[in-house]
Order: sequence, then C-alpha cells, then structure tokens
Amino acid sequence: MTAQWKNWKTAIRSVLAATAASALLTGTAACGLGGDTAGAASAQGDTVNIGVLYPKTGQYAEYGRLFKQGLDLAVEEVNESGGVGGKTLGLKYFDTQSDPKQDASVAPKLASDPSVIAVVGDYASPASAAASPTFQQAGLVHYGFNNSSPTFTQTGDHVWSPAIGTDSYERVYADAAAKKAKKISVVYIENDWGKQAFEYFKEQAARNGTQIVYESSYLPDSTDLSPILIPARDADPDLIVNIGYGPDGALVINTLRDKLGYTGPFFGGQETAEFLDVAGKNAEGAVITGSFSAEGTKNKGAQEFVKAFNEKYGNNPGNFEVTAYQAVKDLAYAANATEPTREGIQKALQTVKDFPLYQGNETTFSFDQKTRRAPDIEPILLVVKDGKFVPYED
Amino acid sequence: MIDTLFSGLIHGGAYALVAVGVSLIFGVTNVVNFAQGSLVAVGMMLAWYCGSVLGWPLIPVVLAVVVVTAALGWLINAGVIAPLEGRKPIAALLATIGVGQILDNGLQLIFGARTRPFPKLLATSNLQAFGVRFGTSDVVMIVFAVLAMAGLWAFLTYGKAGRAIRATAQDPQAALQMGIPVKRIRNLAFVIGAVLSGIAGIFIGLFNANINPMNGGSIGLTAFVAAAIGGLGSIPGAVVGGLVLGVVEALGVFWFGDGAHDLITFGALLIILITRPQGLLGASTNVTSEPMTGTFLAGARPIRLPWWGNLVLALAALATPFIFSDYLAGIGTQIAVYAIAAVGLTLISGSAGQTILGLAGPVALGAYASALLTTQLHWPFLVALLCAGIIAAICACVLTFPAWKLSGHYVAIATIGLGAVMVALIRVAEPLTHGSLGITGIPFPTIFGSPLNTPQKIYLLDVAVLIAALVIVMRIQRAHLGHVFDAIGSDQEASEAIGVRTGAYKALAYAIAAFLAGLAGSLLAHQYTYIDPTIFNSNMSLLILTIIVLGGMNSPLGAVLGSIILIGAPELLRVVPEARILAYGALLIIVIMFRPQGLFARNATKG
Repeated sequence: MTAQWKNWKTAIRSVLAATAASALLTGTAACGLGGDTAGAASAQGDTVNIGVLYPKTGQYAEYGRLFKQGLDLAVEEVNESGGVGGKTLGLKYFDTQSDPKQDASVAPKLASDPSVIAVVGDYASPASAAASPTFQQAGLVHYGFNNSSPTFTQTGDHVWSPAIGTDSYERVYADAAAKKAKKISVVYIENDWGKQAFEYFKEQAARNGTQIVYESSYLPDSTDLSPILIPARDADPDLIVNIGYGPDGALVINTLRDKLGYTGPFFGGQETAEFLDVAGKNAEGAVITGSFSAEGTKNKGAQEFVKAFNEKYGNNPGNFEVTAYQAVKDLAYAANATEPTREGIQKALQTVKDFPLYQGNETTFSFDQKTRRAPDIEPILLVVKDGKFVPYED
Repeated sequence: MIDTLFSGLIHGGAYALVAVGVSLIFGVTNVVNFAQGSLVAVGMMLAWYCGSVLGWPLIPVVLAVVVVTAALGWLINAGVIAPLEGRKPIAALLATIGVGQILDNGLQLIFGARTRPFPKLLATSNLQAFGVRFGTSDVVMIVFAVLAMAGLWAFLTYGKAGRAIRATAQDPQAALQMGIPVKRIRNLAFVIGAVLSGIAGIFIGLFNANINPMNGGSIGLTAFVAAAIGGLGSIPGAVVGGLVLGVVEALGVFWFGDGAHDLITFGALLIILITRPQGLLGASTNVTSEPMTGTFLAGARPIRLPWWGNLVLALAALATPFIFSDYLAGIGTQIAVYAIAAVGLTLISGSAGQTILGLAGPVALGAYASALLTTQLHWPFLVALLCAGIIAAICACVLTFPAWKLSGHYVAIATIGLGAVMVALIRVAEPLTHGSLGITGIPFPTIFGSPLNTPQKIYLLDVAVLIAALVIVMRIQRAHLGHVFDAIGSDQEASEAIGVRTGAYKALAYAIAAFLAGLAGSLLAHQYTYIDPTIFNSNMSLLILTIIVLGGMNSPLGAVLGSIILIGAPELLRVVPEARILAYGALLIIVIMFRPQGLFARNATKG
C-alpha cells in the first residue's frame, strides 16, 4: 500500500513539475511562441503566390480537378497581362483530400510562407473552416470561393467568400418549384450544406404555399435510395426535388426512373459532366440552380472565358470551373488595385467596388462588408436539354 | 410496404455476396481482411474498363476479373499476410489496411476519381414486381450468392482441399504434421476469397449502376457488418446476415429516413451482438482465439526508459514549441492530439487486450461536450476540457458496457458499431448538437484569460496535456491496477478463476481511454473552431488503433512515436503528391513487416 502511494506521489510530483515547467516556459519565453508569421508578411522576390487548398485525391478529387482547370487558366491570363503589381503570380497547390485534419496541418505552412498573399479553397466547409483560424491569425485572406455556407465567413474579418449564399440559391429554386407544382416531395443530402439548403428551401416553399408531402435526407455514401424514394413517389407529388451533388443526384433520378417507374418532373442534379454522364438520358428535363451557363451567358467577360477555356481544355466550363477562375481573377484585381501583399488584398476586398464577375449578367461586384460575401449575384436556373445544361425558361 | 421489403431484399443480396467472401477468409485464416472491400472495387473498376472502354461482353469480363483478382489474392497472401503468419493476427489486420489503401488509391490513379455509369453487362430494370423494377442482373446476383454459398459449403465439407482449408484454420501446426501443405492451402483460401470479391464487384456495379473507384471502403465495412450479423466464419450465416441487413435497413430507412441510416445499420449490429453474441448462425465455439492475447503480450514488452530518460524527453518535447516554425507546430498539434487519444488506448487494447475500433466515438463526445460548454454556457476552457473528458468517459462507458461480455473479434466489431452509433446519435440529436450543420465559432483555447492564438501556443498546450496523459497511463501500468489489466489481457479465464471481475476492469480501462479521447476531442474542437459529425469517421478510429499497433500495443511512448510517423508521414510524403497516400500504405506495410511487435517494443524472448 505504501509503495503504491509512493508511486502515486511521484506521479503527482512529476505532473506538478511538468506543469510548473511549462507554465514557467510560457511565462518567460512567450515571445518564442508568437509564431513566425508576424514578421514574414511582406514578400521578397519576383513571384507572389496564391495558396490553394483542394482535394487532389480522395472522394472529392473530381471537384479538385475542375477547380485546378479554372485556377490554372486564370493565372496564365493574369501573367500574360502583366502579373500583379509587376510581379509574377503563382499558385501553390496543397492536396488536403478536403479532410479537416490535413487542412489544419497544412494551414500554418501557407501562413508562414511570405510569398503567399492569399489562400483559396477548400472544397467542403468543414475542411475550409479547420484552416480559417490560422489564416485569420496570420492576417492572410482566406477566400473560400466554394463555401456557400452562411456561417463560413464568421471566423473573422479575413475570411471572405464570393460564393452565392445558399439562401439565395434555394429561394430561386423554391420559386421555380412553386410555378410547376402544388405538392412536392423533397430528398436532400445529409451534410452541413444540404441540411441548411433544405431549411431555406422549406421556408420559401411555405411562403409560396407549396405543400411538401414527403421529405427525407440521405447519407452521402448511401447506395440504395429506394426506401426513401418509394414513399416519395407514393405521396403522389406533382414534382420531386433533390437537393444534393452530382453522383447522388444521378442515383436519385436513376432510381426514380429505372427502378420505381416515376415519370413526373424532377428538379435536381449538378452541372458537371459527371452527372450528365451517369444519369444519361434520365437527366433530360432535370432543373438545377447555378450561377453561370457556358451556353447561355450574356456576360461578355464570361463569353471570353468560355472561349479561352474551350481552347485550353476542349470542353465547356461549368460552375465549379468558373468560380475557381473568378477567385484568382478577383484576387489579382485586388492586388493590382492596392499592392500584392497580404495587407493589400485585405484592404482591396474592403474598399474596391468593381471586382470582375463572370457569373450572372452583371460584370462587376463588391462585397457586403458586414457578411464578407458577394450579395448581388442573382442565381439562374438551368435545365438539361439534349444532354446539356442550358438556361431554363419557365 | 411490400415494395420496400422487396427492394431491401435485393440490396441484401448484394451485401450477402461480399459478406460470403469476408466470412470465408476470416473462417479459414482468422484474418479480418480490411482489403476485401478494395478487392470488390478492383473487380468493379476492371469490369467497367473491360465492359465500357473495351466493349467486351459478360463472359470475357468475368474471366478477366477472375484472373486479376486471383493474382491479387495470391499476391496479398504470399507477399504480406504469410510473412506475418502465426505471429500477430492484429498485425495482419493492419497490413490488410495498408493493402486496402494501396488498392483504393491505385485504382483512383489509374482510372481517375469520377463517378461513372457501369456497363449493362446484364439487363437491369427489365422485370417488375410489387411496383419495383429489377433486372436479370439482380436475379443472377442472388442466385449466384446462394450457389456460391452452397458450393463453398460443399467444397469445405467434402472436397479434399476444402477439408485441408478447414484443418489449417483449426490448427495450422497439427495440419502441417498431417502433411497438409499449409502455405499452399492458405494461398488457395485467399485466392478464392479474392475471386469471390472480384465477381461480387461486377454484380455490385450492376446493382449500384453508378460506380467510383473509392467505393471499396464502405462496401467492405457494410459486408463486414453483414458477416458479423450472420456469424463470422459461417458461410450460410453471411448470406442470411446480408439479407437481414438489407431488409432491416430498407424498413428502418423507410420509417426514419436515410439520415438515420448509420444508426439503423450499426444499431442492428449491436442489438444482434448483444442478444446473440456469436451472430445469427455462428457456432458459439467458432471464435477460438483472441485477436491479441497471447500474441503481443507474450511476444513483446514495451521498451521502458529510465526516469531521467523520460524527464529529458518531456523537457525536449516542451521545448519544441519554442523552436518550431508554424508549419511544424501545426503538424505537431495534430500529432499530439492523436497521441493523447492513442496513449489511452494502450491500456484497454494493449494491456487488457480488447481491440477498440470505435474510438472516434468518445473523441466526438469530448469535442461536442467542450464545444457546447464553451459556446452555450460560456464555461472557461480548462473546465470545459476536463468536463469533456469526464462526459466522454461516462457516456462511452454506459453505451459500451454490454460489449464486455463479448469475446475475441466480436469486441472489435461491436466497438466499430458503437463508435458509429455515438456519432450517429450526435447527428440525430439536432436541437442540442445542430446535427449535420456542425458547430461554428468555437473559441480558441484560453488559459487564465489569454487566448492561445498561434500554432506554437496551441501546440505547447497539446504537449502539456500529452505529457500528463503519459504520466497517468505509465503510473497505472506500473501500479496494481495495471497488473490486473495485464492479467486480463494475457488470460481472461485464469483471471476470472482467481476472482477478477474482468468485465468491470475492462470497462474501467475503457473509461480511462475514453477520458483521454475526450480530451483529445476537446483540443481538436478548439483548434479547428468548427466541428461536424463527418470529422469523427471510421478512418479516425482506425488511425488511432494503427498508431498504437505501430508503436507497440502496450507502449505509451510507442503511441507517441506511432503518431509522429502516421500523422507526419502524409506531410513528409508531399514530395510525391500524386502517390502520397499510396506511399503511405506501402510505408505502413513495410513497418509492420519489419517490426511486427511494434516500433517501441521488444520481443520478450530476446530479453
């Protein structure tokens, strides 16, 4: 007994010693813990970089590939027209698999690299949000061009998103549904985005007097959705709405048409070649929201972008490519309006009123300084016609 | 209703087919093959390539899949599993994880990440019953599953090679003495299991209609659940388990929505394990050997440093935050947090010998507890940190209590289910936890009023907590309590015989592990400032277990070393971005091959 007590006494003593030591170290050498970002904010050399957090591998790799096409094209164009403030603009890519653990690990590396003047990405909000606090501390702009979640920018004043808010998208979507149907069934993806999108959709549907006769979420990796689509079909709706991504959207429509014999109208899917390919002819007539249509855009800058994109990659860009492209263009514009430094970018986002815009019909936009989001872009509706997404006229 | 049942039955057929392969390999080699799902994905992608790109009809496609998966099965056994034979089943399990990673990421490198339509090698959706359309493919799939089951059963019961397989499974040494070529027989079992998986891949592809090279992981996990429900090692059980799981999922999802999918799948698993611990059709004597006892403990002892060695290490660790760059400190925080969770695991999985594959559950509980206490009730960080550990320990302990009467591999399976259920409950408890929306705006850790707002400061805090965790766990290991844990791990029956209440001690060891996991979760939440249920997935559980196996099961310092390697390696491997995760899998296998007892442990026999 006494021997054990002795053991414990030693244990307690060593814990105390360790705590005391760490407290002492913290107290005396706190300056050493200030991080190496403080004095590193100004870049030396001829190249400044935009850091990119993106999924090159893993389950979201397809989006990473689309992003990279848009980003690469934008950087080429920026450098052809003289770079930023006399310096060459580069991209520093970091594969995170859109995994929060890897975002948190890599964020300090970007923050401490003096050549990095802003960061774009990641694909999913949880991953982006794991990196934001580090950039906020380092006074480095985190430009989450794909993060439409309204809470994304709340981390701090250096976190911005030009993505159209989920609320505007879903308002437009619910209005379009209301024009088509009185009774609807809705299935949506069970993640932070899908949940939020459905809440906005439901609010607007209630305002419009649209009756939701069946609703269910589904997990992103579910492979058989018959158990929720059977009751969705049997509720006898005028329209079935799916709020989700591409692969799951294809699964929903394929199950409805091929397995359950549903022939009514369908809202859902995603503007990617992947969705069109997987859903095949079932995709015909599917309606989604977007911010951009390569076929139908009347925006002159966007038309030039479509042309350049086609020359480089041999196919039309979609919403993922255009948002990535615009992110680099916006940041380059910001750097040219002020100076190609971290402070310059932040200052420009706060003051410049005419950032280039390639979505919607307007050609410029400015940020809402309270929410740090781009408020003015009106979402558009797209429909699949002859295997392509074209603007939807209702 | 009947249409839902019917569609569930068809989906169950798909589960059953893969589960048969899982059960076969487990039954004859006693290896839980985590690469099984990846082999299914290999079959699926190869069939896609031959069918879609080359335009081959069904028969040549099947032949190609059989040839390739047979070769892979042989390669996996001869190259990775056989060298670890007879020593550590848990090491073999980890090696299969490495193989799975290589296969999954290899497929993605070769075929690209896109989801794509599967070629219609057999007619799909051409028949109709009960308002649900199905295809010739589904009929052939279920018939094939039943035939495969019957054929395997007949082969194992009457065939010469089949009986040799069973003899090898029961006692490799005795089999060897009776003149059975054990090596060849094991190769044969792996080849059969791999071929079955490959063919299953074709049918799953036809059933799912759209496929992705990364599908393997979730297919493997569900098949594993189906096999466990039916009774691991029982081939008819695998078919029954698959069908039961398909129907239960369909009905559960029909009533509660697909958002509760995980809760239904893993809830069903737990209920069946608690009421029938050996599964629906498993014989109660089926699992004869514990996955870890008598292997790691008898074979390895942790390397212990003298007291001054520990002190020097602790001081060195505490000094690193002052010299590390932001990037190193950022990686350091992740290493330290995972090490804290892993250090706790050395008590329950190392000493007490219970494989815990669901530690992400307590990590999530701690993260949510701390996040809610600080954002809703505005408690100070340090109090919330401590409470996070306590809440995680209590909740996890209550939920896990029924699992301790299980034995062998079933404990590991039950903890997979429990980890998933804890996270699923957090997802469902929406008014409290915001469900899938996650919690944003979690404050940075604040110590006595000053926020820790640089990577270095957070890293220092993490290191301090890690050192405290190490001290606690090392003291427990040397105390009487630690010896009791060791005794349970070495021989549970003998411990019971001398009056040790093993269930209660296992629960206590798990509570300590859950407490430390809760601390890790809290630290993670306050560093990320955002959490949602997707962060705490089965990969996190797997990673924590891998860390301690790599370091040495019952070696707390080994857990730190394992964490440095497993968290640090993906960062170091950024020099080869294309094949980063591929190289990671290879590294894992190499380490296991060369130091199966763990990096920071030595073979007891060698002194």
